[in-house]
Amino acid sequence: MMDRRTFLKGLSALGALGVSPAWAASGAAEAVPADQLPELSGDLTVYLGRGEGGLYKQVVEAIRERNPSLSLEVRRGSSSGLANTLVAESEHGGARADAFWSIDASSLGHVASEGLTRPVPAALHEPLPEAFRFEAFAPVSGRVRSMAYNPERVREADLPERIMDLPDTDLTVGWAPSYGAFQSFLTAMRLLEGEAATRAWLRGIQGRARSYAGELGAVMAAAQGEVDLALANHYYTLRLKEGQPETSLELAFTRGDAGALVNTSGIALLSQGATPVDFARYLHSGEVQRFLAEEAYEIPLAGGVEPPAGVPALARLEPPELDLTRLGDLQPTLALMREAGVL
Amino acid sequence: MSYRLALVYGLSALIAAAVLLPVGVLLVLGAGSEVALGAQALEIALNTLLLTVLTTAAATLIGAPLALLTTYTDLPGRPLWTGLLAAPLAVPSYLGAFAYFAAAGPGGEIEALTGLATPSVDGLLGATLVLTLYTYPFVLLSTRAGLRNLDASTLDAARTLGMPLWTALLRVVLPRVKNSLAAGALLVALYTLSDFGTPAIMRLDTFTRAIFVEYNAFGLDRAALLSIGLLGLVAVVLLLEWVVGSTRERPGRTPRLHLGRGGAAACLAAIGLLLMAALGMPLGVFTLGVLREGAGSFDPAMLVRSASVSALAAAAAVLLALPVAYAATQGRVGRILERGTYVGFGVPGIVLGTALVVVGLRVDLLYQSIALLAFGYVVRFLPLAVGNIRAPLERTEQGLVSAARSLGASPGEAFRRVTLPLILPGLLAAGALVFLEVMRELPATLLLRPSGFETLATHLWEVYEAGYFGRAAVPALLLVAVSGVAVALMLRRERGNDDALT
Repeated sequence: MMDRRTFLKGLSALGALGVSPAWAASGAAEAVPADQLPELSGDLTVYLGRGEGGLYKQVVEAIRERNPSLSLEVRRGSSSGLANTLVAESEHGGARADAFWSIDASSLGHVASEGLTRPVPAALHEPLPEAFRFEAFAPVSGRVRSMAYNPERVREADLPERIMDLPDTDLTVGWAPSYGAFQSFLTAMRLLEGEAATRAWLRGIQGRARSYAGELGAVMAAAQGEVDLALANHYYTLRLKEGQPETSLELAFTRGDAGALVNTSGIALLSQGATPVDFARYLHSGEVQRFLAEEAYEIPLAGGVEPPAGVPALARLEPPELDLTRLGDLQPTLALMREAGVL
Repeated sequence: MSYRLALVYGLSALIAAAVLLPVGVLLVLGAGSEVALGAQALEIALNTLLLTVLTTAAATLIGAPLALLTTYTDLPGRPLWTGLLAAPLAVPSYLGAFAYFAAAGPGGEIEALTGLATPSVDGLLGATLVLTLYTYPFVLLSTRAGLRNLDASTLDAARTLGMPLWTALLRVVLPRVKNSLAAGALLVALYTLSDFGTPAIMRLDTFTRAIFVEYNAFGLDRAALLSIGLLGLVAVVLLLEWVVGSTRERPGRTPRLHLGRGGAAACLAAIGLLLMAALGMPLGVFTLGVLREGAGSFDPAMLVRSASVSALAAAAAVLLALPVAYAATQGRVGRILERGTYVGFGVPGIVLGTALVVVGLRVDLLYQSIALLAFGYVVRFLPLAVGNIRAPLERTEQGLVSAARSLGASPGEAFRRVTLPLILPGLLAAGALVFLEVMRELPATLLLRPSGFETLATHLWEVYEAGYFGRAAVPALLLVAVSGVAVALMLRRERGNDDALT
């Protein structure tokens, strides 16, 4: 695993590691090494929603170091908190952010639905696979919905292939209904399968589900045998196993439905000018893509960077087709959850 | 109304208005929205109410005897224990809740390490346990301030007349500190009403959880509306405390109780157990994380920022609390103004922070400045200071001040040489409480701070949110250490004042 300090040095000293061309076939341009990107200058204010224990901040710091004539201000907070702040700022005439790099698509979608984002230029679309070229924001790294289970208690064969079949099993489920990632997943289900099917799905599982405050908690519960499986983003399992390698916990994915949704972190451009765009290009560089994959277990999206061992490769997943910008429309999902008594 | 009283009332009204300003913004934000909670609303209200009642009762039962122990007895190492016993106030309760969640129950850390099966800590009882551990110091500190102002002679008289010690403590001492006790209990209740993290981790459906869900789903108006609903419960709690009357008496020598060796040992064992539960448990769980994942990098400047902004907010809160607390002792209008300043503590920080963002945006200079951040802290934590200053002020014998005045002292000199020494323990407790609360405050800090202003609490949140709880160990330990030292320092000054009085 790449050491953080090496990464910082590498990026600031313009060093670039080789980039695998495996993704050339998928239509995505190869990742550009950071030393071939234009030098950034001027003022730039970035709002950074969450950030994986400071890993995103390290990326930002490396970019700062690499570009001494850039005056970069970074504001961190929860992704929804910053989205709410951006909307308040625009309503009360105090907009000050040039870009919003957020850990979840729903906060980016919300900001876009308020008309605060400018269209993503082609330069930012090029390194991304077709399915991730949205108008409102440029995805940076991915995370896939997963079923985390303890193979000592549950056989993989007993897990459903389709998420909509989960209510027909007798498996107990750990979930985190108040967690953003879960609500995004359910929003995807609502958009793909309709309201009635989603409501029925919720009601079907509810009796066998235990709620947790966060998805890390749900995954821990699956490891400890409190529940048969946890519905969670894939990286919680990988991070738990990083700390406790002896933990018996595996990942399974459904196929072609909301259960296999690949949600992304991404960057929305809020002000005009080239600097925010060029800043975003750094996030698509091979160095940053690899760093996020190796340190945060996120799925690399740009430039066909191969994920490290353990991180699911995009090519082996079957995510549904969905414009992630639409995940910002959370209120109808909450209404459904309330109706079903889940929230 | 005298000129001075008018001045004090005017000043208090101004402060109360400033504190209520964000609540006004909240009303505007919430206007016109609707939340259909349906049958769930009843359950949420019931859960919130039960949690508040149980936590307040438990925190009082722990905090009051500890106050007695650390104020009147000859317990060895009293200042140290008092500092440590107050330190849980600096631990964000969500960290404590998470530690218990991870440690207890089948497959938890305790079972993994020792093989002993423990019951899961969750639900109403789990939330009560955790919140009690991180709020009892409210009762401890405010009751201590009250106890320190009592004269030993009444207790001595009761004892001389043959009343057993425990009866005397219950019937002679307790009634005279009931307003300090109630002030502490009020803070516990308000904290419980506005805390989000603990009920969420303990999987208990409360008002704050519903608010947080709405906020995260970009339903600011609905979050505001639910907060207004929560304010109804806050009003009930404030009214309940209102009916607890106050007592006035001449301050004097602090009583001294001798524990004996057996008594001291038993008390130390109980204190040790409590500290293990409140501090040892989270630190232990996070230390396990360090062993597994390493401590990660840590910037010491965060500690300096946390401590300095907490000190700034504590000083501002104490200064602003003085006129409000004084006004509260002068009559009904003053008490109503004082109640007004309590509202901020019952509003969840995330909602209050949002309202202050709107306020800050109106005055561009203030937005994302330390000034607005400190103002946010004052709005939220002013009652911590007011309550601790009001109680001793109420008991301050007006005759002493009159005597000083008739002997030729100016009002200023009378305040400085008579009133101030008498209320100093209260002022110190007030400052300590605000300091500790600001150290652990998170939601409003995230929204209001200047960009790039990382504190211990924001750092803790960041690593915890991402699931790297090993990296929470060092900052959590520092938070506890700094808070313990800060409280111990304040209590040392309290002792100096003790000598001056006797």
